[in-house]
Amino acid sequence: MSYTTFNQKTFDTLKQPMFFGETVNVARYDIQKHKIFENLIEKQLSFFWRPEEVDLANDRKDFIDLPDHEQHIFLSNLKYQTLLDSVQGRSPNVAFLPIVSLPELETWIETWSFSETIHSRSYTHIMRNVVPNPAEVFDDITRNDFITRRAVSVTKYYDELIEKCSYYTQLGEGTHTINGHVVDINLRDLKRTLYLTMVSVNVLEAIRFYVSFACSFAFAERAKMEGNAKIIKLIARDEALHLTGTQHILQIMAAGKDDPEMGEIAASCKDEVREIFLDAAEQEKEWAGYLFKDGSMIGLNQHILAQYVEYITDQRIAAIGLPTIFGAKNNPLPWINSWLNSDNVQVAPQEAEISSYLVGAIDSAVDTEDFGDFDL
Amino acid sequence: MQKATDQHSITKEFHLDGLAPAHEEFSLEAETVESQLDHEPVQGSLILNTEDPEQPEASAQIDLAGMDKPVHMVSIHNDVDLAQAVPFQHAHTLLESLEAQNVAVHYQCREGYCGSCRTQLLEGEVHYTEEPMAWINDDEILPCCCIPKTPIRIKLP
Repeated sequence: MSYTTFNQKTFDTLKQPMFFGETVNVARYDIQKHKIFENLIEKQLSFFWRPEEVDLANDRKDFIDLPDHEQHIFLSNLKYQTLLDSVQGRSPNVAFLPIVSLPELETWIETWSFSETIHSRSYTHIMRNVVPNPAEVFDDITRNDFITRRAVSVTKYYDELIEKCSYYTQLGEGTHTINGHVVDINLRDLKRTLYLTMVSVNVLEAIRFYVSFACSFAFAERAKMEGNAKIIKLIARDEALHLTGTQHILQIMAAGKDDPEMGEIAASCKDEVREIFLDAAEQEKEWAGYLFKDGSMIGLNQHILAQYVEYITDQRIAAIGLPTIFGAKNNPLPWINSWLNSDNVQVAPQEAEISSYLVGAIDSAVDTEDFGDFDL
Repeated sequence: MQKATDQHSITKEFHLDGLAPAHEEFSLEAETVESQLDHEPVQGSLILNTEDPEQPEASAQIDLAGMDKPVHMVSIHNDVDLAQAVPFQHAHTLLESLEAQNVAVHYQCREGYCGSCRTQLLEGEVHYTEEPMAWINDDEILPCCCIPKTPIRIKLP
């Protein structure tokens, strides 16, 4: 199966699985196999925002006043967020678009990835406003061992899927010798790699990002770096939608109605999925150690952040229908909820940020009941 | 020719208070039309106290003709047994009602797309005021965008 940008075959879109069916030809949304992806697209579009909307003038002053160890926490956290969004701004497109088979899912992946590029641009906006020389901070992302170690765990599933899929689209199934290496490509194994990749993306969106949000909001909770927190609030709103997207994809795969083979794979991978969540939690805790190596900050330290990692890991693994790992039922950072909720600070809807305030939105859903008491 | 131009310039002349013919006269305030209604229109919205959704002032909720107020008991179970029961009376959503009565529920978006408030529904029915977007299993509800239709029993973690 080689990739084609416009599949000439005639086939029933509704009979295609989400991935590894016919490549998409007409980008049509009149008939949909999974309507949820259309809903996600619409919601994501209604969330559109630009980093320049947020004023960071006070943050520069706040940052200069922070003690050294808190500057380290702030910048390291921002570097990690930059790394995560650098990955997410391209990887869903590169990894999933060549194998996707439903138009609404294809468009959701593009919309999702695009919104991550806004996040990346907002980190540059923050750096420009907060530090005298942003280049130093960005350059450190590829030089600092602690950060690059994070990059490996975030990208290894993506990279494996992309590599295998490129062989599959060029050479098809079978045993191939490529540059002296023997590679065995079969569809079931590819589907398994896809499933695990999707789990690791869910972990990235649903756990790794939230741990970094906790650090950003801990500053704002003390009335420091509030402009930054406002941007992170907008990013958190997008991420909540993205994690819902990956949870839906994983649950649809596991249910097996979309692709029975995928259902079998999901059932057989439960231990590995648990392992991915557990590894991510351990890596996030280790990262907390690096963040607070020179000292804690008021309201947040290595221990509390580790508790939050356990809590959020349990929440997320339960959401995809697997048993919890740590038994952490209580949120150790209860104040984070009000920061994660993006609507509770904005007063004027026309100032762009209330998610439910859609410009030019009309409720066009008319039911026959609406005319019930209508006489001519 | 000369005359026509004059005519033209007159019609184009602009006055702030208008030279329009009498029958086209307009004023900023619309002509008042005597109301044909001999009764007040039915008030179709609920007026709620923003401070505490479950403790509104005495006359907060207006009776709608032919509609029962959505007042139902909400029984909350933990892992073992019945922990407490609170009435749902006035709030916009089940989540608001629970929060107002000191029942802690996880939340983030409060409009049905993040899934943080996912809760198990043991018995009863709910009505969604907004379409839930987050993944929920058949026996689960999102309290942030629903109200009870019947007395309900829910299980909180």
